[in-house]
Amino acid sequence: MRRASEAVIEAVDVRLDLGGGPVLAGVDLRVDRGDIVAVLGENGSGKSTLLRCLAGLQPGVSGEIRVFQRPPVDAAWFWRDVACVADEPAWYPGLTVREHLEMMPAVHGEARMRVDAALDAFGLTKRADMAPLAMSTGQRQRLSMAMAMIRPSRLLLLDEPERGLDPAFRERLAAAVTGYTAEGGTVVMATHDLPLVEATGARPVTLEAA
Amino acid sequence: MKTWSDRYTAVLGAAMAVLLLAPAGAAALANVPGQVEPSRAGAGIALVALAYAGYLALARVFGPVATSAADAAWLVLSPLPRRRVLRRTVMVLGAVSLVAGLVVALGLLSATGVQGQLALRLLVAVVLGTSVTVGGMAVAVLAQASSAWDGWLLAAIVVAVVLAVLAAIHGAATPSPAVTAAAASASAVAAAALARRAWAALERVPAHRILEASTRTGNVATAAVVMDPGALTWIIEDAHWRRQELRSRPLPRRLRGAPALAWAEWRRLVRRPPRLAVLTASSALPAVAAHAGGRLTPVAVVAVAVGALAAAAACTAGARRDVHDPSLPRLAAAGGRPLLVARSVLPALAGGAWLGSALAGLSMVGALGAGPWWLFGPAAAPALAAGALRMARRRPIDHSMPVIPTPVGALPTGPIIWALTGADLASLGCAPLLTALTGHPAALGPLLIVQGLFGTAVAAAFLLTTRPRPH
Repeated sequence: MRRASEAVIEAVDVRLDLGGGPVLAGVDLRVDRGDIVAVLGENGSGKSTLLRCLAGLQPGVSGEIRVFQRPPVDAAWFWRDVACVADEPAWYPGLTVREHLEMMPAVHGEARMRVDAALDAFGLTKRADMAPLAMSTGQRQRLSMAMAMIRPSRLLLLDEPERGLDPAFRERLAAAVTGYTAEGGTVVMATHDLPLVEATGARPVTLEAA
Repeated sequence: MKTWSDRYTAVLGAAMAVLLLAPAGAAALANVPGQVEPSRAGAGIALVALAYAGYLALARVFGPVATSAADAAWLVLSPLPRRRVLRRTVMVLGAVSLVAGLVVALGLLSATGVQGQLALRLLVAVVLGTSVTVGGMAVAVLAQASSAWDGWLLAAIVVAVVLAVLAAIHGAATPSPAVTAAAASASAVAAAALARRAWAALERVPAHRILEASTRTGNVATAAVVMDPGALTWIIEDAHWRRQELRSRPLPRRLRGAPALAWAEWRRLVRRPPRLAVLTASSALPAVAAHAGGRLTPVAVVAVAVGALAAAAACTAGARRDVHDPSLPRLAAAGGRPLLVARSVLPALAGGAWLGSALAGLSMVGALGAGPWWLFGPAAAPALAAGALRMARRRPIDHSMPVIPTPVGALPTGPIIWALTGADLASLGCAPLLTALTGHPAALGPLLIVQGLFGTAVAAAFLLTTRPRPH
C-alpha cells in the first residue's frame, strides 16, 4: 500500500553552474515512495546532472536536497538504500556475468530475486559464463540493470536506462521497474524514451535548458 | 614521400644515439670478466636466456607486424603490395632485432668471459646474439601469418625458459672458440633463411591480425605519449579477459560484505595459471642474479625489492578498478575501509610468499648469511600489501606539477611522484629488511621482530589514515 505523504526525495531550488554557465536553475522536485519519475528534456538540459545531484556525486550544488530525510552523500550507508545505474561501469576483470550478479546478494546479505531469475528476467541466461566485455553494449546495459535490480534498495536512480536496448526488451525493462515500485521502491530515471515513460506510467518532469 | 630534411633528421638521430650509447657500451665491454666459474656462467646464461624468452614473448604480444592506425585502416586493406606498405615496419623490426642482439651479445660475453680473446669472442657473440634475435623476430612474423609457426614460437619461448632453468641449476662451462664460432655460423644461416621466409610471408599475414596488432601498439604508444601507464594496464587486462572462455564458480557461501567483493581477486589469480607460474618462478631470479654476480649484488637486492612489491601489486586489480571507476563498489554499497582491509589480504600473502621464497633462494646460493631469512617474507607482508594498495589507489600522473631544474637535468615531478607512490610506503615498511640485506647483521632475530612490528604498524597506519575512496 502506497503512503503518498512519505517523501523519498525533496529538492528545493537546486542550482548548479558549470564552466561559467548555469546547468540547473532552480529545480524543485518531490518524489514520494512508490513513485516512478521520468526526468525528460533535450540534450544539455541537465537530466544526468540532476541525477548526480540526487546521488550526492555532484560538487558545487546550491539549494537543498534531501534523500530519505538526509542530504545525499557518496558513502556506503547511502548506497545501501540507493542503487544508481549511470554510465557503464568498469567491470571487474576476470569475472563472468553470473559472478558479477552473485556478488550483489553476497555483499548485501540478501537479494530481491535469485541469480537465475535475474539472468532470465534480463535475457542473460545464455551469456551467464561470458565476461561482460565480450558482450554487446545492450547486453552490458542489461547486466547493469540486473545488478541494480537483484540487490535490495529503496531508491533506484537510472540515467538513460534504455541505452543500447532493443525495443522488445524495453517492455521487460518497464515490467521490472513497475515490479520494483510495487514492492515499495521508488524510481527516478532520466530518459529520452517516451514509450518507456508511458509503459511504466512514470510521472514526467521536464527540464528546460538553463 | 621522404624529404631531405626527414633523411637528415633520421641520420642525425642515429648518430646521436650511437654517440650517446657508445661510452656505455665501451664501459660495459671494459668490465667483461676474463674467466668465469661454470656455476656463475650458468647463472649468467640463465639470465640471458630469460631475457631472450621475454623478447620473444613481447614480439608475440605486440604483433610484431604493426603499423600506424591510419595505415592499418587504409593502406593495409588496400590492393597496394603489402610489403611496400609495411616497409617502414620491417625496418623498425630489423633495428629492434639488431639492438636486442647487441644486448644479448654483451650478456653472453659477461656471462662466459672473454678468456683473453676479446676481439674473437666479441665477434662471435655479436654474430650469435644478432642471429638469434633476428631469427626470433622472423619466427614471430611467421607466427602472425600462420598458427603452425605460432606453435613453434611458443615452443622456442618454452625452450629458452627451460634452458635458463637448466643453466641456473647445472651451470655452464665456457665453450671453446671453435664450438661458439660454429654455433654462431649455424645461427646466422638459420636467421637468414628465417628472415627471407618472413619477408615472403609478409604478403600473407591476415589483415585483421595486422589491424589488431596495430591497435595494441597504438594503445601502447598513446599510453606512453600521455604517460598514463595505468591506462595501458587496463587495455592489456581487458583484452586478455575479453578473449577468455570462463566458467562461473559459486562464491563461498559464508562470504558476506566487503570480503565477498574482495574474493574476486583470488578467483582472478587462479584463473591465470601461466601468470601465477611466472610470478612463482620469478622468485628465483634474485638468487640467479646473485649467483651470476658471485655475491649479493645491488642488482639482486633491487630484484628482491621490485619483485616482492610487483607480486603484491599483481593482486590489486580490484582495488585499482574501485578507485578508477567507483560505480560497482557504489552499487555493492561496500566501500571504504572495510573493503580496503579485505582487499589487503591477498597482496599480503602474495608479496610475503614471493619475498620469503626469494630470500630462501638467496640463502641457498650462499648470498646471505646464516639464519632463517625467509621469515622476513611473512614479517614484511603487511608493509608490501600497504605499498601495493597505495600504488593501486594512486591517481594518474599530474603533468601540471612543476619541472625542477637540477645539475643532472630537468626533473618532472609529476611522473616521479607517480612512480614513487606505493614504493615509498613499501620501502618505509620494509626498512628493517633492507637494512639487513645491505648491512650483514650478526643476528637476524631482533631484526625479524622489528620488521614484523614495524611493517604491521606501517600497514595499520595506512589503512587507518587513508581517506577511503570512493566512499
